[in-house]
Amino acid sequence: MICCKECLELLSDYLDGELDPKTSSSLEEHFQDCPPCIAFLNTFKTSTHLCRETIRQVDLPEVVQIKLKEFLAKNTREKK
Amino acid sequence: MSFAQNKETKEAEEALVRDFQTGNLEAYDKIAEIYQKKIYALSFNLTRNPMDAQDVTQEVLLTLFKKIHTFKGKSAFSSWVYRITLNATYMKMRSKKKEPNVSLEDLLPSYNSSGYQQEKIQDWSENTESLLFANETREVIQKAVSQLPEKEKVVFILRDGEGLSTEKVSEILDLTVPAVKSRLHRARLFLRKKLSPYFEEYHSQREKK
Repeated sequence: MICCKECLELLSDYLDGELDPKTSSSLEEHFQDCPPCIAFLNTFKTSTHLCRETIRQVDLPEVVQIKLKEFLAKNTREKK
Repeated sequence: MSFAQNKETKEAEEALVRDFQTGNLEAYDKIAEIYQKKIYALSFNLTRNPMDAQDVTQEVLLTLFKKIHTFKGKSAFSSWVYRITLNATYMKMRSKKKEPNVSLEDLLPSYNSSGYQQEKIQDWSENTESLLFANETREVIQKAVSQLPEKEKVVFILRDGEGLSTEKVSEILDLTVPAVKSRLHRARLFLRKKLSPYFEEYHSQREKK
């Protein structure tokens, strides 16, 4: 059976679905017998999810959109 | 919308680029419209500074306008835009005082000689969805991301933030696929460890209620 170290090193590949089925099952086998790795998996998955959603929330403010439009109108049209 | 593109949008975009290269300004407007939010978000996530992100967006859009003739289509247009955005952002950051980097090694899991992990882990993963709507959480997470070492940070933002494929990120950063994977994984490990005390606290407060 694989050890915690091997298991945790493959965690991203596992969650991203990039492991072959055989390696995936050996991770799952390990999880069955290792509650600390389950806790690690759950917290890893959740923190990755929360971080991802947070940095995806960045929006371009409307006032900046207006400024950009003015800037581009001035710099891309007047010279042509 | 992420930059992860399907075939149709990719072809439509290539057509826009070709039109713009032959002098069609409306095509440029459309390109600017498609990309401005992404340029801003990428730059903001790297700098955490709205003014810098705005400056970078302005500069990159102007560069696209001026340098479109140098785009030869060797890589995807979006990869080209990303590289210009990263360069402009790093130039901007160069003049600023940097926050001290936190050592990544200290935040990676530790194991004993037989490969068993030694961390005492509390599973705080349940009922965390409401955290996403709290301003405080956003700040805590953004700060943790900003403390990532640069190499890991940019991979994390492109892969998990922009939702780009490993292959795409390897093209943009000129890295091998295993290098992208390894940096992404280290970034996620770092963030988990860094944020655990905050999430644990949140979890135990909820348990008490």
